[in-house]
Amino acid sequence: MKSIIKSLSSVKLAIVLLIIITLATMLGTFIPQQRSPEEYIARYGQLANLFQRLQLTQLYKSWWFIALLFLFSLNIIVCTLDRFSPKLKRTFRPRLIVEPKEISVLKLNDKLRKNMDLQTAKKEITRTLASRHYRVQETEKENKTFLLARKRILGWFGADIVHLGILTIIAGGIISGIGGFKRSLTFNEGNVHDIPRAEFKLRLEKFETELYPSGAVKDWKSTLTVLEEDKPVLKKIVEVNHPLSYKGYVFYQSGYGWNWTNPSVEIWVKKRNDPSFLKKIELNLGQRIRLDGENIDVAVLQFIPDFVIGEKGQITTRSLEPNNPAAFIEGWQAEEKIFSGWIFARFPDFDRIHSEKETDLAFELKNFKAGQYSVIQLSKDPGANAIWIGCAVLMIGLVFAFYWPPREIRAILEESHNKTEVLTGGVATKSKDAFKSEFEQIVNTIRRSK
Amino acid sequence: MNESTLFLITFILYIVSTFFYFVFLFSKKENRAKTGYTFAFTGLVFHTAALIWRTVESGHAPFTNMYESLSFLAWASILAYVIIEKKFKIRKAGPYFMLIVIALMALASSPLMPKEATPLVPALQSYWLWLHVSVTLLGEAFFAIAFITSILYLVADAKEKQGKKSNLPSEKLDSISYRCIAIGFPLFTLGGLVFGMIWAYKAWGSYWSWDPKEVWSLITWFVFALYLHTRIVMGWKGGPSASIAIIGFLAALFTYFGVNYLLAGLHSYA
Repeated sequence: MKSIIKSLSSVKLAIVLLIIITLATMLGTFIPQQRSPEEYIARYGQLANLFQRLQLTQLYKSWWFIALLFLFSLNIIVCTLDRFSPKLKRTFRPRLIVEPKEISVLKLNDKLRKNMDLQTAKKEITRTLASRHYRVQETEKENKTFLLARKRILGWFGADIVHLGILTIIAGGIISGIGGFKRSLTFNEGNVHDIPRAEFKLRLEKFETELYPSGAVKDWKSTLTVLEEDKPVLKKIVEVNHPLSYKGYVFYQSGYGWNWTNPSVEIWVKKRNDPSFLKKIELNLGQRIRLDGENIDVAVLQFIPDFVIGEKGQITTRSLEPNNPAAFIEGWQAEEKIFSGWIFARFPDFDRIHSEKETDLAFELKNFKAGQYSVIQLSKDPGANAIWIGCAVLMIGLVFAFYWPPREIRAILEESHNKTEVLTGGVATKSKDAFKSEFEQIVNTIRRSK
Repeated sequence: MNESTLFLITFILYIVSTFFYFVFLFSKKENRAKTGYTFAFTGLVFHTAALIWRTVESGHAPFTNMYESLSFLAWASILAYVIIEKKFKIRKAGPYFMLIVIALMALASSPLMPKEATPLVPALQSYWLWLHVSVTLLGEAFFAIAFITSILYLVADAKEKQGKKSNLPSEKLDSISYRCIAIGFPLFTLGGLVFGMIWAYKAWGSYWSWDPKEVWSLITWFVFALYLHTRIVMGWKGGPSASIAIIGFLAALFTYFGVNYLLAGLHSYA
């Protein structure tokens, strides 16, 4: 047990672990994560099996990666605690009495003699140090007075605070991993969804897509209402970057889609022999409309948002985006079908209309309207707060570690024949240059004082 | 006068600055370095004006596509250099550092980078765009200086071992590298990781998704954490330290460039 703790307290282990974790993390960005087995076989052939067995295809969730992180956390805890209690002791119960030898070996040290008694000299020195915000402690032993002056002691704990922050973040990650969950909810306007593992419901009132003048998407806005026992309690417009938070759940605008089951289309009817002829008709799928004065009925039987002819000649849609909208129309004279075929919004001059009977009518698919549905992502992440606290602690620790350099000055005073011998020395582990000049100024001030 | 004119003037000023810095390097005349610095500083002023102009014109932060973010990174690098130069007097690093800045500016002005300001996609419409990107890139600018001083360290160290003296001693370069990382590391942590996680939580619904850009910024952070631990706890200095700093900057560079072109992910905008 002791040897385990000892090896866990080693910084070398921490560094080796850090290197291994870094390399493993890199590996995970070069092997695509969490794809289908077929994709891995296509990509890596025979290696695919090995990769999957080593969990390289879901590396960040693999048992060995988590074990590495766990070991690393343990290492951080033991290392930090190991150094913590001596530091605490040094902070709250510092050794005041030191051998003169210990001061004279310091890089910064000085020896001087003041023509004054010990009490006056001590007062002078203490005042000088205090004016530079040092906190001075003193004790006496065998006619000698020992001074210990320190400032910015919290800087010693910078690294510990950083480690505490990192551990809090890791803990937050574990809590998120165990207790967090995510769902995608698809809403048409007016839809109500039960929220899993919660009492309340959510209703989509309105969904809009805002466009820039160029046609690019500016924003998606879902107006959502929270229902408690079917009574509205909260209404909010959710957009990207502006989620709705309610009772530990957060709702995000995560996507949208088209509802192609009942679109309406706008068709322009022209005559090949009469350029001045133009009739605009708007109709829903399956609806039949009489063309005024023409004795012809027009119906739209099918609408396809992204028209493509498949390998076997079948007509299908490539995607659910309106990239190549097409409508199948039919024309009737009384009970006789006179034409039928496809017209395309993107290719007005190209149609595939078969006419049973001569007609000079031409049809253009001008516009279409379809409902859009909104995809709202729900997430419950009980670890998030720990993450934010951990981040704050981490940043505070970094500031202390880098920008709050602790300084320590010691002095031993000894009186002989109304004169006082002063031996002084200082230590700073960080920003040594700045400390050196401060130390020299302090010594000069003490030397000049009368 | 418009944004692209200001950008061009800036670019020319940086080139002139680089020229004077190299004249200084070969002639050893201190005054040439001072002229180089003056041009770089004037360039920074024009560059700032160009960025402000672009912000006002486009109505959003000046780092939403590759052109803008390269230009901003060049700006942050000069800013970091001016700060470090004022503090530590590292003129000899000037010429090499200016080369990086010139490379960034040249990449930004290459015809491959679309220049027109496009309206923001929904995910980028957030004030976190300002905080996340600017602080991260400023941190990376300090890593860039550490990268140059670390390379110069390795060169100076090799020279000193042959008994030659260099006017910027290796010990000083080693300490400047550390100081730059001591500034860059907290900035990168705050901007890249902390602000990044907060924004991801607000926009995507989870603070961490193992997206390649996230992962590579974590890797960059790990490398600099390694630098700090080997240095502070294990007492490494000099060559090994410099090598880690170089690797760290390369990781940061990969996070910035490589991920966009080689690995697909959520950060598809820039």
